[in-house]
Amino acid sequence: MVNLMGALFAPLDWSLKRPVRTLAQVWINRTPLRIKLTMNTNMTHSSFSLFRTASFAAIFATIAIVIAPRKTQAENVDLSTVPARDSVQLTIYNSEDITLVRETRVVSFKKGLNPLQFSWANTQIDPSSVELTILKPADKLELLDTTFPHDKPQMLYWNVQSEVDVEATIQITYFTSGITWSADYTAIAAGDESMLDLEGFVRITNNSGEEYENAQVRLVVGTINLVEKIAQLAQIPMSQVNEMEELKRKDLKSRATRELFFKSDALAMDAAGPRGSGGEMGVPLEEAKQIVKEGLSEYFIYTVAGTETIPTGWSKRLRSFEADDAPLKIEYRYRPREYGEQLVRMYLLANDEKSNLGTSPLPDGVVRVFRDNGRDGLSYLAQQTIKYVPIGDKIELNLGVDPEVVFELVKTRAAREEIWTKIHGTDKFKLVGDDARREEENATVVGWNDRLSYQQRIRNYTAQPINVEIRRPYEGHVTFESGLEPKLHDFQTVELTAQVEPGVKKNLDFTVVQHLGRNAKQNNVTLEASNK
Amino acid sequence: MPISRSQLLPPALLATATILAIFAVAPHEAWARVKLITLPVRERVEIQLDHEQATLVEEERIVPLVKGENQVDFSWANTQIDPSSIVFRVLGGAGKGAPDVNVLSVSYPPNESALVWTVSASDSGSARVRISYILGNLTKSFNYRAVAANDETSLDLSQYMRLKNFANEEFAGAGVWAGFGPKFSKQIGLNETKELLIERFKAVPIEKTYTCNPAEYDYLDRPQNKLRVPMHYVIKNDKEHGLGAAALPFGKVRIFIAGGGDDPQAGTAFLGEDWGKFTPRDDEMRLYLGVAQDVVVKRTIEKNETRRVSGNLYDQELIVKYEIENFKKKPVRLDLVENLRHLRSEVRPDNGRDVEWELGKETTFQDGPDQERSTAEQLTFHAELPAAGDDGKAEKIVHKLHITLKNEW
Repeated sequence: MVNLMGALFAPLDWSLKRPVRTLAQVWINRTPLRIKLTMNTNMTHSSFSLFRTASFAAIFATIAIVIAPRKTQAENVDLSTVPARDSVQLTIYNSEDITLVRETRVVSFKKGLNPLQFSWANTQIDPSSVELTILKPADKLELLDTTFPHDKPQMLYWNVQSEVDVEATIQITYFTSGITWSADYTAIAAGDESMLDLEGFVRITNNSGEEYENAQVRLVVGTINLVEKIAQLAQIPMSQVNEMEELKRKDLKSRATRELFFKSDALAMDAAGPRGSGGEMGVPLEEAKQIVKEGLSEYFIYTVAGTETIPTGWSKRLRSFEADDAPLKIEYRYRPREYGEQLVRMYLLANDEKSNLGTSPLPDGVVRVFRDNGRDGLSYLAQQTIKYVPIGDKIELNLGVDPEVVFELVKTRAAREEIWTKIHGTDKFKLVGDDARREEENATVVGWNDRLSYQQRIRNYTAQPINVEIRRPYEGHVTFESGLEPKLHDFQTVELTAQVEPGVKKNLDFTVVQHLGRNAKQNNVTLEASNK
Repeated sequence: MPISRSQLLPPALLATATILAIFAVAPHEAWARVKLITLPVRERVEIQLDHEQATLVEEERIVPLVKGENQVDFSWANTQIDPSSIVFRVLGGAGKGAPDVNVLSVSYPPNESALVWTVSASDSGSARVRISYILGNLTKSFNYRAVAANDETSLDLSQYMRLKNFANEEFAGAGVWAGFGPKFSKQIGLNETKELLIERFKAVPIEKTYTCNPAEYDYLDRPQNKLRVPMHYVIKNDKEHGLGAAALPFGKVRIFIAGGGDDPQAGTAFLGEDWGKFTPRDDEMRLYLGVAQDVVVKRTIEKNETRRVSGNLYDQELIVKYEIENFKKKPVRLDLVENLRHLRSEVRPDNGRDVEWELGKETTFQDGPDQERSTAEQLTFHAELPAAGDDGKAEKIVHKLHITLKNEW
């Protein structure tokens, strides 16, 4: 019912204030928007009291332009027009809860002073960010002042001086919180795991309290710096905003952000194409919307083709890209710092052209990995959050432990060698050897080496040969002896690789010599060849 | 009066995941409360239980579409579907002249377990769609029934999967796959628990072991130095033993033994139960049967001598003596396991360092430690015990482990 009434009748505040229904019909909105531009035909600053009497107004935001001669305070009869939104553009960040809203409206101005009212009750708008710009004709109109009334936190008034009677296009911009977007991905590997289809999605959620109809949507990938949360600013009146610390810094930051947005204007407009949702009845097969990706400074902007309407409380998921048959590599990795004390199976692919990807970086998001199970269905493999993947970089998907590959480490021998003692009360040290046996001096062991032999056992029960990469970090002064051609990944991490054929058990032997006590002269690993 | 979706549905479907195709009128009118909807039924359901933690359900439905844009509504009231896991794929048309279909977007209404796909069809007609999702509270576990032959040299192993359906959804004729073994087609009702026999392995050769391991099983009678001697059935998961096609998942094993008479079935007795650990191929599943009463092992540390090497550095020479008697009427092989850290802690304070050791001449185990089962820290030896005599008297076998713990301080 409410939806229908909203289309036919003026919202509550107007109907209480005065009979404006016929005028309101000009402004037809299917849903009750909370942010509105209204032009009050006879309102002056002195008539703000009229608004106060309308306690309801909370729900609807309006800008009013005064046309009629100014009234005295005693006059409660008021006349307003409510110019509708002509276009609206949302630029949404994923790193912060911030969205830049830019809307244009066409307003008729009379020659002289034109008061405008703008309010945004029950929305998440930062009052300090609201700005009015006159787009056309910019030279005939001038914004004289902006007033935030003390008793209505989510409302402001502008006075615009016009040289002529003219129909003008104005633009209102502001930051709001509550509109967010996130990326997610679905990966489906082929049955033989040689290829993978990767689909990327963006999901836009609107909890801002306002429905932006037919909005052009732009999504920004990248991080920005904000000194105050928009959601916080939205909850306080303008008078308090001014008292807050670092306002100037924030203001500068807002301006910088705005400049960034405006720079990308032409680009976004081109990408968006003609307006309208395009989903008309009877249209033959419609393609999923294109999401155009463009780089800008350190940011990446995704522009959704056409326009979108996302009612408040809803979210909408659109496909941002689709890469079929991306070549896939499988690797088994043991990296305790990254994946815990287990051998994990990885899918490795690249965000590049060869993989039918590489058109944009991949924003942070959850990847769900499936595999064609060869029985006309899918197998669920894993779910993982990936961090931002730049163009050309690797995409690494951790599928967890593979029960078909057994990986165990067995300590086969422990011995101590190069044991040094220090004779009590002296600065003398003695190496313990056969000749030193049965010495009865008062001495204490102060340095020794632990020689520990290990066998890394790998059993491969899969149908394919597997590549295994093992990275073992060692603390302290260590000599790593092995005939397996180990490499140093960093100063304290040894990397071994092996290929294990299907059905084969492979044993990798190595010895770790830990230099302890006074024998520890370094904090690193040295590699030494060994016959084993 | 608006008609809600729930009023249109038959009650049986209320608590279930449902899919509704809403004929396109105009995009902006799609959320109006008065709707005409169709209720496409499930054509096929597959439950994939191959993932350790998650259950994937795949269902196929034939959805009637009109030319242009259509809303396909999927809801799952009272079920635990992870909405972000839902994958919607159009498999192509159902029959001749089926339309081409594109998925345009997905919308998620607030505070509702539902979503709406916006799809575009090239023509009016039916499309077969497959929806895959992770469903919570539909879980599996495994258990086994092992019936040992009377001579305890083999057993019949039955492997069961227990499927618990508390997902608030019923599946008629669902294909169920455990990740290995054959695929089943089963009716799975609401709140039902189903036990499915996955496979039966006949006459799997087993080994019955007698072990003493003071670090793990301690003494049975400390004042008399008598060790606890646990018994196990060891099932080797490999082809040689009639298994080895897949890893054996973790689960409870109920162990029975066949009777000795003409009808072994009739005399079957329950031996006990144990948790069978996850057993990869070629590994062993050891099932604990209890403590042997007829194999007596007395363990004493016969010699403990400390020798100074230099300053505070010592070698410590130990002889562990085992006096073993087998009162059973058949010969037994006993596994003697010594954890060397545990042994060291019996004779000197634990310093946390690795144990460096050397076997001494007085060790009586001829073949030395079992290489396969021994590590730097734990040694396993075998002792062959003859059967008790007809008079019930057991021969006392004495074994010694002579070991020097080196470079201790």
